[in-house]
Amino acid sequence: MTAIMDVLVSFIIGGILLMIILTANDIAAENNTVYNGDMLVQEMLISTCQVLEGELRNMGFGVAETVTTIVEADSGAISFLTDLDRNGTVETVRYYIGPTSELHNTQNEGDRLLHRTVNAGTVSSIGAVTIFDLSFLTQQGDLLPRPVPLARLSEIHTVEVTIEVQNPYAPLNPMGDNPQALFSSSLWQQTRLASQNTRR
Amino acid sequence: MSSGQTLLTIFAFVLLTTTLNNFYRLLGISGDDISSGQDGILATTIATSYMEIAQGLAFDEQTDTSDAALYDLNVLTDPYNMGYDIADEDSIQDFNDFDDFDGFIFEKEASGTGRQYATQFSVNYVSEGDISEVSNSRTYLKRMDMKTWRTFPPAPKADTLRLSLVQGYFHFD
Repeated sequence: MTAIMDVLVSFIIGGILLMIILTANDIAAENNTVYNGDMLVQEMLISTCQVLEGELRNMGFGVAETVTTIVEADSGAISFLTDLDRNGTVETVRYYIGPTSELHNTQNEGDRLLHRTVNAGTVSSIGAVTIFDLSFLTQQGDLLPRPVPLARLSEIHTVEVTIEVQNPYAPLNPMGDNPQALFSSSLWQQTRLASQNTRR
Repeated sequence: MSSGQTLLTIFAFVLLTTTLNNFYRLLGISGDDISSGQDGILATTIATSYMEIAQGLAFDEQTDTSDAALYDLNVLTDPYNMGYDIADEDSIQDFNDFDDFDGFIFEKEASGTGRQYATQFSVNYVSEGDISEVSNSRTYLKRMDMKTWRTFPPAPKADTLRLSLVQGYFHFD
């Protein structure tokens, strides 16, 4: 009888240990995926923003003082003038967010491509983002309506860019009745001057 | 179960608990590191936004109001009197020169995250031979030192981002 009891207790204790180890393994695997996703989105965000930041930094470069630098200003699109290749000819660079249907085959329903064109030429995609939001402020810090009316484009002093990147695929959270994907997200928010030389 | 077996079982549980404790602690640390990476990105973007604004300003109050080239250092702002020059220039929208930032602490919320970051500014003249050295006399170089940290929600580990920006006086004749 004692031997049977020993075997039973051993089974129970062994079962408890197995459950603990399996749970820990699950948690480790889930965390590993989430952390990988976090790192991935941070890297995706930085690579996208480096391109955007470099060009916004040169917004208005080589443009005559009498000409308005920003020619289109909307919540999801901006066109500005700059001399990209420093040859004395001013180009029009446009950044705009594409529709979500462009990335409908990914698990993430909110991701979309951020596009760039030069002089309305070939469209190139510089990255996948979930938010690309532009705000336009005057010298006094007043928010301009979007899209900014043509007559008020010259009032733009600073441009606030907000970008969020989420990973296209993520593991499902098994908890609850409706499992939700554990998308990692990373946010970037920066203010840029419409022209560098306003006070210099 | 004999008392020997019971002791052995308890020992095994203690060992397992200790291992699991360390395991979960490591997972937590990794999570904090990833989270502080996101904090670092936001703090950097906020600090560089201020840098962008500062770079668009005049070198000095004197050079903002005059088109003439500057040849006399003594007309520049006193090194012990950095900061905004008149009461009307006491907000970032009204700053007109680089050293107006001196002494200010601005707080900014990264919209969409609920996180708030404070940035403290200090502006000094720096030696023309060594920009890491603060100069107590006027020079043609000013350095802005910025410290950015998260104020809300408080970060689990205090972490401050430090950035510096040097601006020099130049004039096109």
